[in-house]
Amino acid sequence: MKHLCVPVVTAFLFASAAISAQSDEVPRAWDNHPDLNGIWQAIGTAHWNLEDHPAGPGHPDLGAIGAIPPGQGVVEEGDIPYTPEARQQQQDNFENRMTNDPEAKCFMPGVPRATYLPYPFQIIQGDKKIQIAYGVAEASRTIHMDKDNPEPPPIDSWMGRSHGRWDGDTLVVDVQGFTGEAWFDRAGNHASASLRVEERYTPMGRNAIMYEATLTDDTVFTRPWAIRMPLYRRLEDNARVIEFKCVEYSEDLLYGHLRRVPTR
Amino acid sequence: MTLNLPPVALALPVLTALFVAMPGASTNAVAADAEYHHVHITSFAPAVSVRWYTEHLDCQPIADRDDAADCHGVEVTFVPQSTQGGTQGTGVNHIGFSYLDLTAKMEELESIGSRGSGVRLQRFEGGEMIREAPGLFKYGFIFDPWGTRIELVEDPDRLGFHHIHLSSTNPDETLEWYQSVLGGERDRLRDRIDGLRYGDVWLLAMEHEEGIPATTEGRAIDHIGFIVDDLGNAASEMRSAGAEFQQEPIVPENARTSARRAFIYGPDNVRLAVVESGFAGVDSNFVEETTADSTPYDPAQTPWEEPDLQGVWTGNAAHGIPLERPLDLVDVENLTAEEAAARREGGTLGSIWGYEREWRDTTLGYDKNAPSTQVAMIIDPPTGRLPERTPEGQRMEEVAARARRLYTENRSAGPEDLTPYVRCITRGLPGLMMPSIYNNGLQIVQGPGFVAIQKEMIHETRVIPTEERAPLNAKLTTYLGDPHGHWEGNTLVVETNNFNGRTNYRGSSADMKLTERFTRTADNRLEYQFTVDDPKVWTQPWTGVFTFNLDNEQYDVVEYACHEGNYGMTNILSGARALDRERAEGSR
Repeated sequence: MKHLCVPVVTAFLFASAAISAQSDEVPRAWDNHPDLNGIWQAIGTAHWNLEDHPAGPGHPDLGAIGAIPPGQGVVEEGDIPYTPEARQQQQDNFENRMTNDPEAKCFMPGVPRATYLPYPFQIIQGDKKIQIAYGVAEASRTIHMDKDNPEPPPIDSWMGRSHGRWDGDTLVVDVQGFTGEAWFDRAGNHASASLRVEERYTPMGRNAIMYEATLTDDTVFTRPWAIRMPLYRRLEDNARVIEFKCVEYSEDLLYGHLRRVPTR
Repeated sequence: MTLNLPPVALALPVLTALFVAMPGASTNAVAADAEYHHVHITSFAPAVSVRWYTEHLDCQPIADRDDAADCHGVEVTFVPQSTQGGTQGTGVNHIGFSYLDLTAKMEELESIGSRGSGVRLQRFEGGEMIREAPGLFKYGFIFDPWGTRIELVEDPDRLGFHHIHLSSTNPDETLEWYQSVLGGERDRLRDRIDGLRYGDVWLLAMEHEEGIPATTEGRAIDHIGFIVDDLGNAASEMRSAGAEFQQEPIVPENARTSARRAFIYGPDNVRLAVVESGFAGVDSNFVEETTADSTPYDPAQTPWEEPDLQGVWTGNAAHGIPLERPLDLVDVENLTAEEAAARREGGTLGSIWGYEREWRDTTLGYDKNAPSTQVAMIIDPPTGRLPERTPEGQRMEEVAARARRLYTENRSAGPEDLTPYVRCITRGLPGLMMPSIYNNGLQIVQGPGFVAIQKEMIHETRVIPTEERAPLNAKLTTYLGDPHGHWEGNTLVVETNNFNGRTNYRGSSADMKLTERFTRTADNRLEYQFTVDDPKVWTQPWTGVFTFNLDNEQYDVVEYACHEGNYGMTNILSGARALDRERAEGSR
């Protein structure tokens, strides 16, 4: 028995060592930078409200499904430092969110909102650029690792113009050139076209990335502020970012009044 | 096989042989008493590879050899062969070159840039190009365009071609094997690294990182070559020392001299050639004749050893090519430049209603890209026309035609009566790949195992896996389907099904199986071939082709926020409602 036992235990220890090594080590790309390739997703309620928020009523037709779940905020150092006018705008946005939230209209979510919407996204990390394909509204971004940083954006855009660089093991992305029309969440948090976002993607091991974004916009905020949350690797077999072209589900909201038999 | 030529149909890459002909004799009494002769690097275009090693690593052209360069006693040769990836993961990790002033050399190489057949630096973690191993020397890494990892060192004791670094599951045993079979002098490089010296070129062996090294055969460094005086004698000695021959000593077909060559396998799946004095490679001239129809082009590889299709491409030049061959051009092979310009003027430019001429010209690169002279996209059936429709395909086409009339007559009752393109949902497949009247950018970004194909119009990113993965359940359908990609040589092949059928191309159905082939045929050309196999609609599959042109310098893919600014929907539908009212009033 003894002879049998020892090799079995040994084999077991080897196996678990192999698994934990795989879990803990930051995967490395060909150039020894962290390899962020994979499918990632945020978990939490940031997409409902970046700030701390209690539960609240939602769309009455959907019963409890439409309610706003409570959640801890992801804003560092408390609340978003809005100017008084900008805070009022956020509250107006919230009041009118059923019709005005760009998410309801299937508009591109912008940055940082795309990161923590409740959909997976895929990072394709190459040697010149990094592409992020998000799981909703066909949103995607190209992070230019090979251009002057920052290069003037060719046009304002929903997803902004992204320039990246490595700071040790952290991918730092400067994003600007926004339209100013995107919201940050379903609570109507917002900025203007002057917004500049500095994102930091820091691997926490193989299966998690700490995501931090510092938001600067003098016209809306009294100081720069930051959000921070982990992103998790989707570990399911055959995990995919499944195409979710949501346009057609926004058409009643947007064009229902123009149907031959109006729906709104 | 290194020097075996592929069938004509493959007509793809080329092999580079880097010949290290070392003068002087080894003093060791071992089996073969061999010297380094060559390192064989898989490449594509001989002339390009010779030029690369000549320009960047200070090798010299060799007289009468258009397929070889001499790298400080080193010869570079080229023979066509399909490339199966770079050096990494094989039993030869890299080759090394030594320079007196490494900093200056690396700066020079850095300034060349990695574009095209440039120089790709493999920087260290902190971004630096050079590190210094205390007591050893400064070192840094680069890749050649064909995936060969090259270490550059600053070792004044031996300049030029410096070493070959094996990657071995057991470095010590490996060195012993080489010494007993091929000779060489056991030594320590700078008293730090165990190795063998062949003349003053080092053979080093490092621990292989994971698993068993892949065979070198067909990879960037296909084999390492050693030279002996008499291959007959040497072969029997090597055999008695334990070497197994993959190919017995022969004079290879088309060899330039009557010297013989043999192949053996060393430890860790490293392929080795042993050649006789006087061996001068294999003449590959006749290859050009057999591949006359397709100029060999070797696309650069990504650092993780996939063909590099990355960049910003546009279909501007291809816009205006009709899918089907016009009936009045049945026997025409190509349009003349004038005819192509006239076609664009009358078709493409004429179709951009209401836009300023200057804007249209700029958008379509009118002055920058001469419009394609291709007569039609369809190459199969050879008539250039869509095949016959099935009865079901015919019926579907009639339904689609009725739907189109709702749009043209402005009778749309709601969004669903408009096309997915008008609704800013998608142009579908293969529709979204087709050249459009503006915003024709196509950006490709690759990561290991994935190719992201981003089409500017109407901002869609297709993420194509290049490794096998499980298919989605047939009921999980989407507009753009479930893509499965793989590399066939340098061609990215993408097979897609699981379409939801809510969009169509020329009447295609949800049953369509789409096969696309992306082939970089030159630095600045990306051939796109698409085959639609939809037996529900057409009686046979059909195939079209057109080319994207690289436009990295002046083209920047912008965000085509289609749905976000789709005033067209509001205007079309409110116009339709106004017509409804007019019709109602008229009938009153």
